[in-house]
Amino acid sequence: MEILKTLWKSPIGPKTTHFWGPVFNWSLPIAAYVDRNKPPEQISGRMTGVLCVYSALFMRFAWMVQPRNLHLLVCHAANETVQLYQFSRWVNAQGSSPQQEKEEPES
Amino acid sequence: MLVYTTCTIRNSKKEIDLMAAKKLQAFWNHPAGPKTIHFWAPTFKWGISIANIADFSKPPEKLSYPQQLAVTFTGLIWTRYSLVITPKNWNLFSVNVAMAGTGLYQLSRKIKHDYLSETEAAVAKE
Repeated sequence: MEILKTLWKSPIGPKTTHFWGPVFNWSLPIAAYVDRNKPPEQISGRMTGVLCVYSALFMRFAWMVQPRNLHLLVCHAANETVQLYQFSRWVNAQGSSPQQEKEEPES
Repeated sequence: MLVYTTCTIRNSKKEIDLMAAKKLQAFWNHPAGPKTIHFWAPTFKWGISIANIADFSKPPEKLSYPQQLAVTFTGLIWTRYSLVITPKNWNLFSVNVAMAGTGLYQLSRKIKHDYLSETEAAVAKE
């Protein structure tokens, strides 16, 4: 009960915009999680790379801003993880697909 | 007369230089200035809209509904929030307007491709 009261009254709690902004920011990592198994050809390397840098910067921002916003920090940490995963899938697909198309007719 | 005019212009330039130097220093040393994350994080957010604009030329099959919906909705929500916080943050406002705008455009491209081409294929079969 005490924990709930503390959370309710928190400077980054549900009565403030510092709470609801990050709530909507969760849509980015959730979208990437939903897309985790889609074929790598459909991944935009440009957008994914930008989102990786974006979340890294905002993790630092969430830590330094007043009031310190751990909710935002966790949200961007999650996004960083998923985006890096998608980016790695895109990178791995870069080396293979055009070459495979060339190799198959030769062999 | 000529000496007076050139002297005045030279002094005015010096005054302008001093003003410019003061403003630049104020910006450089600002607590939310370019030496801090408070500047670079929102500034880099423009990259999302720029990446999306660069992706305008991507074929719609390669666009992601979840990602573009997320970009659009975070853009719209933060557009409102940036005006509700104190102080109002016009940089944050404009970057989120851009995000929502590019997201909406990409969504419209993909929806047109997915649903308009279905009707075109149906018409072609008939």
